[in-house]
Amino acid sequence: MDDLLQHFIVEARELIQQATDDLLALERDPKAVAPMDSAFRAVHTLKGSVGLFDLAPMGFALHAAEDLLGALKEGRARIDANVVDTLLECIGQTERWVGEIERTGQLPPDAAEEGYRLARVLRSQVDEGVARATPADTPIDLGWVEDLMAQNPDPAAMKAQTKPLVAIRYTPRADCFFAGDDPVALLRSVPDLVSVRLSSRDPWPPTTEIDPFACNLRIEALSGGGLDAVKAVFRFVPDQVTIHEVARSVADHADAAGPGSGAESTVTDGAGGARARTLRVDAARIDHLADLVGEMVVAKNALAHLAGQVRDRLDRKDLAQGLLVSQAAIDRIVAELHRAVMDVRMMPMRDIFRRFPRAVRDIAGPLAKAVDFSMEGEDVEADKSIVEGLFEPLLHVLRNAIGHGAEPEQLRLEAGKPARTRVMLRARREGDRVLIEVQDDGRGIDPAAIRQVACERGIAPADELERMSDAEIVNLIFAPGFSTASEVTDLSGRGVGMDAVHSAVERLGGQVTVQSLQGHGTTIRLSLPLTIVMARVMAVRVGHELYGIPLDGVIETAFVPASRVVPVQEAEAFVLRDRTLPLVRLSDLLEIPRPAEPPLGMKVVVMALDDGPVGISVDAFAERMDVLMRPMSGILAGMPGVMGTALLGDGSVLMILDIPELIG
Amino acid sequence: MSVRLDGTIIVLEGICRVDDAEPLLRWLQADPGRIIDLSDAEHLHAAVLQVLMALKPGLRGAAKDAFLRDWITPALSDRKPVSMAPQTG
Repeated sequence: MDDLLQHFIVEARELIQQATDDLLALERDPKAVAPMDSAFRAVHTLKGSVGLFDLAPMGFALHAAEDLLGALKEGRARIDANVVDTLLECIGQTERWVGEIERTGQLPPDAAEEGYRLARVLRSQVDEGVARATPADTPIDLGWVEDLMAQNPDPAAMKAQTKPLVAIRYTPRADCFFAGDDPVALLRSVPDLVSVRLSSRDPWPPTTEIDPFACNLRIEALSGGGLDAVKAVFRFVPDQVTIHEVARSVADHADAAGPGSGAESTVTDGAGGARARTLRVDAARIDHLADLVGEMVVAKNALAHLAGQVRDRLDRKDLAQGLLVSQAAIDRIVAELHRAVMDVRMMPMRDIFRRFPRAVRDIAGPLAKAVDFSMEGEDVEADKSIVEGLFEPLLHVLRNAIGHGAEPEQLRLEAGKPARTRVMLRARREGDRVLIEVQDDGRGIDPAAIRQVACERGIAPADELERMSDAEIVNLIFAPGFSTASEVTDLSGRGVGMDAVHSAVERLGGQVTVQSLQGHGTTIRLSLPLTIVMARVMAVRVGHELYGIPLDGVIETAFVPASRVVPVQEAEAFVLRDRTLPLVRLSDLLEIPRPAEPPLGMKVVVMALDDGPVGISVDAFAERMDVLMRPMSGILAGMPGVMGTALLGDGSVLMILDIPELIG
Repeated sequence: MSVRLDGTIIVLEGICRVDDAEPLLRWLQADPGRIIDLSDAEHLHAAVLQVLMALKPGLRGAAKDAFLRDWITPALSDRKPVSMAPQTG
């Protein structure tokens, strides 16, 4: 895929998001000016970018959307839920098309038809809106006149005009050819043309559906020939033409607007650029990184100096001292460098939160639930992988809050609650963790029902369930097997696939809990680390493979002579400093063939497990390292015994083992 | 008829009337890569014009007719280069 198209996809996604946000804001407050302007600009810019590629159907639809937004903006049409739906449908389709373009490099085959259909629907909204909102005395829209003037190649010539200009907008009837009209011939007879713009009344249909005899032209022109002369030309088609005399002030204004409109698009690019998909980084953070790298270089040079001293055989005590100091310095800088890099990866919750209002609307609509959705803490930052990993689980939680938490309006009113269910999404930082809550004031969870389901499904023994408090009981909705996504249970008012949320959050190193008061609502609380933690691991070799073992569990490494290994029933043990420790072979744990027994003895990592130290035999010890551990994802997520993976300097992947789980 | 096909070129000449739109459309539908030669066209009926606007074929030669050259062909040639060459391969 070429760079230009890739850039387009990134930009299009941002503009689509922007337009969606603005349209939802408009739906809440139809009079708001800022989102109106912003939506118009987003769609306008998007349409402009689409024009650079062979994506005509997308262009049709967006052009129509732009016209509709223009009509709304100028008050020629009125905003209602229907109009917003139509616009969102167009934006939604555009989003799907962008996805398709990203995958295949082109629009799907049915795009032409769909684009044409969308454009038709949007245009009909404009017409309807205009019919509704335009009584005879609405101010004349002169936007197109300004455009015409702006496109005149020679503004100086236009200024030199002494006579007032006449603006013509001629939209021939579709059947005008059958009446013998030739709109081009009429245009030819307009005296003193100054500017002409030819366009289509409706977007051009797909090539195969064009009817050459149905006129679909719109002709706009400026003439210096005087009002009466122009009117005379169009005397037989007065119903298809609007003719205005244009005051000089408009001409001057238009002259100024010409270059101005160019500037506006630049501004849009600047403001709308690089939001959703790329990581925008505060320059100060990069400066900090650069400073640290500078210090690192100094520390490295100090080491080089020490190496020189070794070569010259200086006094060994000095040498050790110097090495220690230098090592401590590098240690400190690396730690800081790590923090700084983590800092660069921080991104605000806004990047995923802004997608939720639309999602909530889409979920609540078909269920006929009235929901007031609000958000707080969009500015709270966390590591990119944490923020992005939260989207799916949060969406799931919101879906449950609306689908199961929210009661029908009637029930709410009877219970003395406001008619609309309030759903609140909050993020806040607490120490080195970020807390996210989804709170609703819906029907809440019935602990008795949960107890019963948990008992039926054998989540826990009955006597244990009896002992658990209600607060503990409701948290069973996260237990694996409590519910599956394929079944919909209304028993609890909750609980569809919450174990999926639980495991997704756990993969990110977080926890999830629920609090609920029956009849008053439910709060799901997610607690996550701000960053992905750096893990210190010891690399060991088994066969040809390298594995990582978290260093915090390692007590020591030892070489055990073959003579010290003793069989104990089925298992093995070895003696280390007069203690007998169980011996486990890592190759057995990993279920890979045992390598040939080394004749003299074996290398053992002694680890502290819950029931005491255990020796794990490996083929070789490799270095200790600090790695950025990534939780397992995708199909590997459920793999037992593996905590995560880390990318090594040479590009290979290190699997980090969960030894207690492997032994367990 | 003021429209004729000459190899891969569609030549529009003289006064192009409403009935020239139909063959023009068919030729362009059959091969969107065909080029239009407007240099000897004296007038384009609106029906012909809108076929050109809708299918956006490549153009060759500037019209000798001043009205066509100044006001009509700019609307046809004002195309972004990428969309100029749809499936010409």
